[in-house]
Amino acid sequence: MSGRARRLRHGALLLLAAVYSLFPIYFITVQSLKTPEEDVFGNPLWLADPTFENYTELFAGAQARVRGYVIVPRVPFMAWLANSALVLVGSLALTLGAAVPAAYALGRLRPPGWRACRRVLFASYAVPHTILFIPLYQVIVRLGLDDSHAALVLIYSTMALPFCIWILSAYYRHLPREIEESALVEGATPARAFLRVVLPMSRNVLVAAALFTLGTVGNDFMLASIFLLDPAKQTVAAGLGVMDVSLEELMAVAGVNLAAIPVVAVCALFARTYVRGLTAAMLEGA
Amino acid sequence: MGSVRRRRQIAVAYALMAPAGALVVGVLAYPVAWEVWASLTDFSSRGAPDPAFVGFANYARLLGDAWFWRALATTLGYLAVTTAAKLAVGVGMALLLARPSRLRPLVFLAVFLPWAYPGGVTVIAWYWMLNPPLITGYSVFMGDVKHAVDGALGAGAWAFLSVMLFNVWRGGSFTAVFLLAGLNAIPAELFEYARLESASAWQRFRAVTLPLLSPYMALAVFLSFTTAFADLGNVWMLTGGRVIFPVVGTYAYWLAVKSGQLAEAAAWTLSLVPFLAVGLLVLFRWFDPREETPA
Repeated sequence: MSGRARRLRHGALLLLAAVYSLFPIYFITVQSLKTPEEDVFGNPLWLADPTFENYTELFAGAQARVRGYVIVPRVPFMAWLANSALVLVGSLALTLGAAVPAAYALGRLRPPGWRACRRVLFASYAVPHTILFIPLYQVIVRLGLDDSHAALVLIYSTMALPFCIWILSAYYRHLPREIEESALVEGATPARAFLRVVLPMSRNVLVAAALFTLGTVGNDFMLASIFLLDPAKQTVAAGLGVMDVSLEELMAVAGVNLAAIPVVAVCALFARTYVRGLTAAMLEGA
Repeated sequence: MGSVRRRRQIAVAYALMAPAGALVVGVLAYPVAWEVWASLTDFSSRGAPDPAFVGFANYARLLGDAWFWRALATTLGYLAVTTAAKLAVGVGMALLLARPSRLRPLVFLAVFLPWAYPGGVTVIAWYWMLNPPLITGYSVFMGDVKHAVDGALGAGAWAFLSVMLFNVWRGGSFTAVFLLAGLNAIPAELFEYARLESASAWQRFRAVTLPLLSPYMALAVFLSFTTAFADLGNVWMLTGGRVIFPVVGTYAYWLAVKSGQLAEAAAWTLSLVPFLAVGLLVLFRWFDPREETPA
């Protein structure tokens, strides 16, 4: 095959990959911009009369309103967004706060038994939290955290921690020792050398760990709806899940898109760093 | 290195590991121990307040239960099919993205999006798109698809298939990006060398790319198992258990919540442990080999 034909084929396959990846998102977005009339009579793949009604409806406030013949129930969407953001930030802080020191200890200081510790921590990733929810609920109640965002923060952190520790410790393990030692020679304390030299160097891996945590938190629906019962405390996923979708399907998909926008923006911003971070952790075998 | 200094270093290391250890043990140790304990008793929300120890009776009953074997087969089948599809999609897209092209940055973002789109909410939209309420303009079409699939494969097949499609769409995106990072970690000289040595692209793929990439593939597969379970759980929860998949996880949940048979539910849950253990052993052998002596 000539170079030109090969390039064309490569381009066509790339386009195919893009269409495959984007089609469901396109489909959701088209539905979310539809009027109820067009939802019933229109083409599912195309928009004749786009409207942001489904989006603005989410913020319509506490009053239940009548739209056409349908009573639109109130949805505290702003509160849901704020709750999701709170849970996410909490999970990120706790996950990285616990993962970075542990990964440094496992990858660098290597106390006796480090390999077993690292493996056990990683194996805990396989624990299916969604099935363990009955005893998990007992733990949460014992900690006095039922119906609290802290419960989700704790649980999500244990879900993301194994992978974060794994990649961070793999990275620290292969970082040349001279990097810290030169800082130590110049009189810095080990803690200072870590914060000033090693931590900034691991920036890409930290971003990869953070995005993985974001993906883990963002993927949950089940635990959020089990552990948060008060509608005012629910996250977007838990809240949208209890909407009566057969009546409010358009609003629900609008909510899905709206919740996705900030997440997607963050991911798009850091996507390349994410790959670089993973690569850095994988170099020389993790 | 002086032994005093090393001893201090070890103490610091354990102190640094303490928060992570406390978090994992604090949140998970009791639930896991509780599951094991419950599976050895006759604990039930309808039974006596003090559950009695029954040994392995729950497991013995499980082994004689045809429904269990069907659920186990469905679970393993679900994992095998979605994993194979995710790997195929992931490897394919990673290889496409590894080659330079002007389109690459944009396509890379597009491939990243299914994973970036928060799955916990996307699954809601996805599920209702493929199983739409009666009123939409394409409901009749989707209804026909559903009846055709259910007619060919049995009731509930379409709902199950739609979860599989979601899992492959989202998990394939994760796998693709993960393996792209893996490809970047492989020294370029190895590919150059392979280009000189072997004739066809397929040969190069089989002889060089695949073996070098396989540890990362193993890790990606392992990581995707958890989301495969989570996706099923999400849809199960979303439909209020109306869509009952005969898989081990959701059936255990159903036993516990709907009929309060907590002991049986625990035995069901733990029946997956041997498979997870084997998976982990293979993974560690591959990804975390022992031969390297700690410096």
